[in-house]
Amino acid sequence: MGDGMNRRRFLKVLGVAGGGAAALSGCGIGPEPTEKLIPYVVPPEGQTPGIATYYASTCRECAAGCGIQVKVREGRALKIEGNPASPVNRGRLCARGQAALQGLYNPDRVTGPMRRNAAGQLEPVSWDDAITTLRSKAAEARDRGLVFVTGLESGSFGDLVDEWTKEAGGRHVTCEPFGFEALREGNRLAFGDASVPTYDFAAAGYILSFGADFMETWLSPVGFQNAFTRAHSFESGTSSGMAKFVYVGPRMSQTALSADEWLPVTPGTEGLLALAMAQVIVRQRLATVPADAARLSLPAPASVAQVVGLDAGTIERLAREFAAAGAGLAVAGGMAAHYANGAEIVAAVNILNYVAGSVGRTVKFGADLAHGSGAAGSHRELSDLTADMAAGNVAVLLVHGANPLYALGGAFAQAWAKVPFKVSFSSYLDETAAGADLVLPDHHPLEQWNDSRPRAGVYALQQPAMLPVFDGTLQTGDVLLRAAGKPGSFKTYLQGKWEALYQRLAGARGPGFDQWWTDALQRGGVYGDAPVRSVRLATAAAGVAAAAPSFTGDAVAVVFPHPALHDGRGANKPWLQELPDPVSKLTWHGWVEVHPDTAAKWQLASGDVLLVKSAAGGVNAPVWITPSVRPGVVALPTGQGHTAYGRHAQNRSFKAFDLLDVEANEYGGRTHVVGVTVAKTTDHRRLASTEGTGRQLGEDVAPVLSLERARGLHAGEHAIEEEGVPEYARAAEEGWAEAQHEKASLGNYAGEHPRWAMAIDVGKCTGCSACVTACYAENNVATVGEDLVVRGREMAWLRIERYFRPVARGAAVSAVTTPMLCQQCGNAPCEPVCPVFAAYHTTDGLNGQIYNRCVGTRYCSNNCPYKVRVFNWHNYAEADGVWDAFPAPLTWQLNPDVTVREKGVMEKCTFCVQRIRGAQNAARMEDRTVRDGEIVPACAQTCPSDAIVFGDLNDPRSRVAQLAEDPRGYHVLARLNTKPGVTYLAPVRAGAAEEA
Amino acid sequence: MITRGGRAATGFLLSCFLVLGAVPLASQGASPAPGTAGYKAPVITDTAALAGPRQPIFFRHDIHAGQDRIPCLYCHNTVAVSSEPGMPALRTCIGCHQIIGGSTPSHQAEIAKVRKAWSDRTPPEWIRVYWVPGFVHFPHMRHIKVLGSTPDACANCHGEVNGTPQISQVSTLKMGWCIQCHMERKLSRDCTVCHY
Repeated sequence: MGDGMNRRRFLKVLGVAGGGAAALSGCGIGPEPTEKLIPYVVPPEGQTPGIATYYASTCRECAAGCGIQVKVREGRALKIEGNPASPVNRGRLCARGQAALQGLYNPDRVTGPMRRNAAGQLEPVSWDDAITTLRSKAAEARDRGLVFVTGLESGSFGDLVDEWTKEAGGRHVTCEPFGFEALREGNRLAFGDASVPTYDFAAAGYILSFGADFMETWLSPVGFQNAFTRAHSFESGTSSGMAKFVYVGPRMSQTALSADEWLPVTPGTEGLLALAMAQVIVRQRLATVPADAARLSLPAPASVAQVVGLDAGTIERLAREFAAAGAGLAVAGGMAAHYANGAEIVAAVNILNYVAGSVGRTVKFGADLAHGSGAAGSHRELSDLTADMAAGNVAVLLVHGANPLYALGGAFAQAWAKVPFKVSFSSYLDETAAGADLVLPDHHPLEQWNDSRPRAGVYALQQPAMLPVFDGTLQTGDVLLRAAGKPGSFKTYLQGKWEALYQRLAGARGPGFDQWWTDALQRGGVYGDAPVRSVRLATAAAGVAAAAPSFTGDAVAVVFPHPALHDGRGANKPWLQELPDPVSKLTWHGWVEVHPDTAAKWQLASGDVLLVKSAAGGVNAPVWITPSVRPGVVALPTGQGHTAYGRHAQNRSFKAFDLLDVEANEYGGRTHVVGVTVAKTTDHRRLASTEGTGRQLGEDVAPVLSLERARGLHAGEHAIEEEGVPEYARAAEEGWAEAQHEKASLGNYAGEHPRWAMAIDVGKCTGCSACVTACYAENNVATVGEDLVVRGREMAWLRIERYFRPVARGAAVSAVTTPMLCQQCGNAPCEPVCPVFAAYHTTDGLNGQIYNRCVGTRYCSNNCPYKVRVFNWHNYAEADGVWDAFPAPLTWQLNPDVTVREKGVMEKCTFCVQRIRGAQNAARMEDRTVRDGEIVPACAQTCPSDAIVFGDLNDPRSRVAQLAEDPRGYHVLARLNTKPGVTYLAPVRAGAAEEA
Repeated sequence: MITRGGRAATGFLLSCFLVLGAVPLASQGASPAPGTAGYKAPVITDTAALAGPRQPIFFRHDIHAGQDRIPCLYCHNTVAVSSEPGMPALRTCIGCHQIIGGSTPSHQAEIAKVRKAWSDRTPPEWIRVYWVPGFVHFPHMRHIKVLGSTPDACANCHGEVNGTPQISQVSTLKMGWCIQCHMERKLSRDCTVCHY
């Protein structure tokens, strides 16, 4: 560049030409704007600027009721972590729980009450007017039909709604699109008890899941996953076997990825399989079969083998294995509980548990889950409501915490138009709120008081972690109390309930209510156990036949809940949209899973758009060809296809609910598995996939050991041979080692330093991807959107790789998942190629990445064999920019301890170096060294299965140093001599043929 | 609240030049040093001649810390425990200025602003003088633990605040300036100590 035109000026001129001069000064070019320091008038108590405070509360993203701790700094919630005191989730949290923050700071929240005006538009009103309207409309509707629809509310808010609705002369209906009607009905059929018990996965010696996706969407996923890995993981050096896990169902879900054996039986025959297994156990006396089981008429394996699609020998083997394990656990749920015969399938599986002696041992009635309580509601109530609405029998409909207009669609939408006055309490303008006449935005759960009773004996409290983000929202509990003309706030109502609870639990022996309440707030609730209640076989059990349903059409369609978006409520959170589905690795859009054989028959390629039509409706879905679904079955996730619900959710692919009938089935649930016809369209799209390849191509990224091999390993042995340095490179390697030795004595590097390292037990990794979202939250990782994911520009520092394992043609595949993050190589290929020393080796063994040094050559990424470095192709943090990943107020969530990167900068995982420095600072302030286990990176903190251990490899007593010596340990791509700091422990699969 | 990432700001260079022109006003004659008994803060007649940005209230560190010898931590009370020094809340100001109304009309006028801010519940918007970019993490508490929290210790970076009527930036806060001290004291110069 010539005189008077240096680089900076050149850029400035460019900026002006692009019309972005003002915006550019915000990204480091040009003078900094003046910063203001605005002090408090009165400082808030218990908060120190720069130091985080943690508030215990309860997660409300699903009904599991996991305990959480909300990290708050300078009055803003920054991160959510599991509460270790909670018995539900034991300090762990899933991706959806992590992403609650993006609901709190969602840019499309409703900021104040609105009423539909004469022109049909929603316009802002004052709260006084809004509440007056609500009161008068509710009074008018007395005896003319008032219905209050909520999500599953197991706590005091549900009680208040019940009372309020009763006083107003209406009824309270629960809307949960993935309800548990079949589970309750199946339990009633088998045991005459319609409650939902606790399933003790940790105590199980054999786990058999009939469609129950207990690690993603079923009942209490985090707690179940934690317990599952305790039963299913392999501890080297112990002779105790791991519990074998068999998954039965036509589609391999995220839960099934961990299975030792996947049995893709004919859809709807899961119950027949369970009954045939029970028959083998009874006939062969494989367990102490209770006497009353004699009156069951059970089918022999040979009689069902053909319809189920397994040979009789396999059924007998499964029965023997199940009974031999002592405490086996069979669970039925998920899609198996959404067939037309779902209740009978559940009942059949109950019978299997009963004859094997598992009921009372691993199936614990007594510690009943909220999903089985009276508050849970059923789909039948909703289809009845639809009929009432259509008949003009509903004058006022109030909706809170549910989006029926989206989930029920069709017939419900038509009936909706017949209701004269609709009220929504939604925080977001979802389909239901957009169609309401009065919108009264509730506080986000992180801003409000509430409680829930996730299971008998557990009372979980919810407290505001921060002041409301928007002044115009008001807690629905308070609105209802004001509309009813009652004194006090919802908080006092809640405390009233807790005072009664205190009298019941502690009574005269207690420390006084105030003290007890404060303790409960601090711990996140009151946690107790409920005694196990014994159940006997009901008379109806003898009639359980679980006959297979018939389907018409070209294929059977399974409409399953998306693990992250669930019934669609997660769709407005960019973290969840960009989180690759654990199985398909697809982001931002829906898909239809088709088996390769079926695809060949229909002449489809991945990305072709397929028109799938059922009796209820049709959808256009892009095809993803995968061996993880049974031939002849197509599977579609719910969650997308919103017509409202904010910028991140709106107008994305299709709504799979359109394939389903609104009518309730026999047991009062909704049938999610339907016969469909398919037609190939001429459309094609590139899938927004983050997957490179589904196979390991001989690289042994996640080599699998058989149980026999793993049991035979001794300390000091290494199951996976690591290829050494080849002969021709030996001299070079020795020279390198010498040079390293020399460098280690220079400057900063002299002396003793820790080497931060990680041990990841791949056998425990279930692919749930909670770590991925935790990493986004902790490290200000930007979401890039669908178009850029298609171009391979996603920014995840940590990804879950899912590999299908090669099998003989026709056999069901199995899969393995492994986290891939920066390996913090001891001999890192990225470091020597950086021309500006932005990528360099820190004294404590990290591959440092200094954002302010980086000039964006991308040589480091080019040279990284693990492909864990990501580049900022755009300014993702530029306010209102084209690629703005943090539209206000999502910016409020950004972690102030981590730099927000700008365009042209390479970034990567550094083992949460801000947490390392934070712990080192804290230790130094107390004149001590950092303790082992004191530093917990965000991924390890949230991992529901405790697969990740972090620590100092140079400290021989640290947990990570011990795990690094595990006989199952290996390093990925070790032959490249990268000397990774991450040791993986090879997964063990019971009954698996060894591939390594 | 986006922390600015990326390339260093040029705004610094400008402020550094301004600072060099400023002569500490406290270095006058034989009067006692600031912070010792008997030190009298000077009467300022020409505020325009003072270095540094003009703040919404003419708060004088030389009176508070120099003449009245109020410890730094009385107001910046989180500096020893947190990375943030803590800007005093208005309540801290009013704690004294409820009673102390000022001895001269100009002082009284400034204190009246404090009282008005308190009654209006609107804190003053101070103009930030010491500032490092978002990609630099400076833990105050670690430095205070080693250096102490006396005015002399704080002077290492902030200059002789207790003799300065109006705060201006006296150190460059550039990386070379940080490193110099870390070199002299044989401390870590690893990049990820500050940059992450």
